[in-house]
Amino acid sequence: MRILVVEDEPMLAEQLREALSAAGYAVDLADNGHDAHFAGDIESYDAVVLDLGLPKMDGLTVLKHWRTAGRTMPVLILTARDAWHEKVAGIDAGADDYLTKPFHMEELLARVRALIRRAAGQASAELVCGPLVLDTRRSRATVDGRALALTSHEFRLLAYLMHRPGQVVSRSELVEHIYAQDFDRDSNTIEVFVARLRKKLPPELIETVRGLGYRLACPSG
Amino acid sequence: MPVGVNGMYGGLERWRGSLRLRLLAGTLVWIVLTVLAAGWGLSSLFNQHVSRQFDAELGTHLDQLAANLVFDEAQAPQLRAPLSDPRLTRPLSGLYWQVDRMEPGGTPETVALLRSRSLWDAVLAVPPDALVDGEMHVHHVRGPNDEPLRMIEQVLRPAEYPDQALRLIVAASEELINEPVARFNDLLVFALGALSLGLVGAVVVQVRTAWKPLERLRDGLAQVHDGRSAAIEGRFPSEIQPLVDEFNGVLTRNAEVVARARTQAGNLAHAIKTPLAVLANAAARDDSALARMVAEQVALAQVQVDHHLARARAAAAVQIPGQRTAVRPVLEALVRVMERVHVVRGLQIALGDVPGTLAFRGEEQDLQEMLGNLLDNACKWAASRVDVRVAAQDGQLLVTVEDDGPGLEASVREAVLERGVRADEQRPGSGLGLAIVRDLALLYGGDIDLDAAPAGGLRVRLRLPQA
Repeated sequence: MRILVVEDEPMLAEQLREALSAAGYAVDLADNGHDAHFAGDIESYDAVVLDLGLPKMDGLTVLKHWRTAGRTMPVLILTARDAWHEKVAGIDAGADDYLTKPFHMEELLARVRALIRRAAGQASAELVCGPLVLDTRRSRATVDGRALALTSHEFRLLAYLMHRPGQVVSRSELVEHIYAQDFDRDSNTIEVFVARLRKKLPPELIETVRGLGYRLACPSG
Repeated sequence: MPVGVNGMYGGLERWRGSLRLRLLAGTLVWIVLTVLAAGWGLSSLFNQHVSRQFDAELGTHLDQLAANLVFDEAQAPQLRAPLSDPRLTRPLSGLYWQVDRMEPGGTPETVALLRSRSLWDAVLAVPPDALVDGEMHVHHVRGPNDEPLRMIEQVLRPAEYPDQALRLIVAASEELINEPVARFNDLLVFALGALSLGLVGAVVVQVRTAWKPLERLRDGLAQVHDGRSAAIEGRFPSEIQPLVDEFNGVLTRNAEVVARARTQAGNLAHAIKTPLAVLANAAARDDSALARMVAEQVALAQVQVDHHLARARAAAAVQIPGQRTAVRPVLEALVRVMERVHVVRGLQIALGDVPGTLAFRGEEQDLQEMLGNLLDNACKWAASRVDVRVAAQDGQLLVTVEDDGPGLEASVREAVLERGVRADEQRPGSGLGLAIVRDLALLYGGDIDLDAAPAGGLRVRLRLPQA
C-alpha cells in the first residue's frame, strides 16, 4: 500500500510520513503542487493526502488535473476548519474526504484506511481470507488468531493482495504499490518477498499465475 | 382625545421632517400671499378707474347743465333744452341734477330753483360748505330713495348777471360705481382662483416629478439594505448621481475591506493551524507531563483560534448591507460533500423542497459555515438518515436539520452550544461546531435551538435573517 503525502510544511509532512509508515504504508512526500501533480500522474498510489494550500500549484488544481487525466486514486484533502468553500470545492474537484486542520493522527489514519478499503470495495476494517485475517486498524495480520511477524514490505504486499482477493496482481503492480518512490526497486525482490510470505502463511494461499503475477486464493466458506 | 394630540404632534413632526411637505407648504403660502396681493391691487386700481370715470361723467353732465342754462326776462334761469341723458327724465333713476340760488354769504337762498325730472319732488340736500366760485366739490349724500349718492357741485355766476350766484349740482347713485366694481371683483376672484389652482397643481406635479429620483434612491437603498441588491442601480439626475456613486463606492470598498479581512483571517488560520497540528501530533506520541500539557494547551488554542476567527469574519461581514446569499445552492453543495464523504455508510440525506427564492441576508461563507457544521454534525451521528428543510417563517429563514442518531440528553443540549464542550469525547471533532453556529447566528440576529427529532435523534432549528 503506497501513499502520496502532499504537504508543504516540513514538520507536518515528516510527522505524516512517520505515522503512515508506522501503519505499514509506503510513503512518498511532495512539498509543492508541481511535484505532486507529476508524482500522482506517473506513479500508482493507493491514496493521496493532499493539503490545499501549496506553493507553485494549489491543491485544487492538482486534484482537477489528476481527475481529468483519469487518475482515480482516493484523495483526502486537508483544509482549515472554517473553510467550507474549500471543502465544497475540493469534493466537487473529485476529493473523496476531507480532514480539518489541526487533526488527530489516529483520525487521519482511520480516514486513509477507510478510503483505501472503499476504493477496493471492502467494507470491513478486518480483511479475512480463510484463516488469514488482516486488521487494517492495527496493521497486523493473524493466522488462526496467531500474529504473523512480517517486515514492512511483506506486510504491504500481503495487504495489497488482501484488498484484492481473487484478482490477479502483476509483479510490476506490486512493485508500484509497496515501494516508496526513492526506493531502489527490483521486481526480482517481489519473488523473494512472496517466497518468504508463503513460508509464514498456510500453503496454497498465494497462487502464482504464470506470466501474469499472483493471486490470493481464499478458501470459500 | 389623546389621538388628536398625538396626531397633531405627529403631523407637525411629519411636516417638519419632510422636505417635500415643507416645499409644498412654503410654495402654497407664497402663492396665496401673491394672489391676495394681486387681487387687492387689481381691485383697487379698477375701483379708482371706475370712480374717476364716474366723476368725469358727472363733470360732463355739470358742464352740459351749465351750458344749457339761460335766463329769461325775469332773470330766472331756464334750461334752453333738456339734458341729453334719458335717465335724467326718468323718475328716481339714480341720476339727478339740481340748481340752487345762493346768497352772497354762501348759504342757499332758493333750494331747487330748477331740478331734473328724475328727482320728482325730492330735493338734494347739500352738506354746508364754503364754496368758492368755480370750484368743484364732491360729496356723498343720500338720495330720494335713501340710496347713497355721489354728488358734485359748482357755484357759477352768469356773466350777464354777475350778482346772481347759482349752485349747480349733479348726483348719481353710487350703485353705478359699485355694480361694475362688484362684477369685476367676482370675475377677479374667479380668475385668480383658477390661477391659484393651476399654480398649486403645477407645484404639486413639479414636486412629485422632482421627487421621483429621490424615491427611486430610497427604494434602491432599501433594496441594498434588504440584501436584494449589492449596489444602488440606475442613472439619477446629475445633482444626485455623485451621491449615489459615492455610496456605491463605499459599498464596494466595504466589500473589499471585508474580503481582505477574510483572506487575512484565512491566511492566519492556515498559518497558525499547521504549527498547531505539528505540536499536537508531536505531543500525542509522548506520554510525559510536558506532552500532556502541550496537548491540552494546543487543544485550547485551537478552540480560541477557531472561535475568534469565525467571529472576526462574521462581525466584519454583518456590517455590510446589501448581502444576499441564495440558500439552495449552498445546501446542495454541502449535501454533495456529505454524500461523498459518507458514501460507505449509505447515509440518506434528504433535502426538502427549498424554493430558489429563499435567501439569507448575509455572507455566503458564513451561511456555508453554519449549515456545514449542522450537516456535518447530523451526518456524524445519524444512523441512516438526515432530513434538511428550509422554510420562511415570520420574515426569517428557518433551517431544520434532523437525524435518526442517538440524540442528545436535554441536560447536555445547552452545554454543546458552549465553546469546546463535546457530547462524546470518543468521536472526532473539536466540539466547536454547534457553538460556532450559535455564535454566527447570534451575530446575524438569528438563533439556534436543539430538541429531539421525531425519529429519535437530534433536531436543530436555526433561525436566520431572510433577504
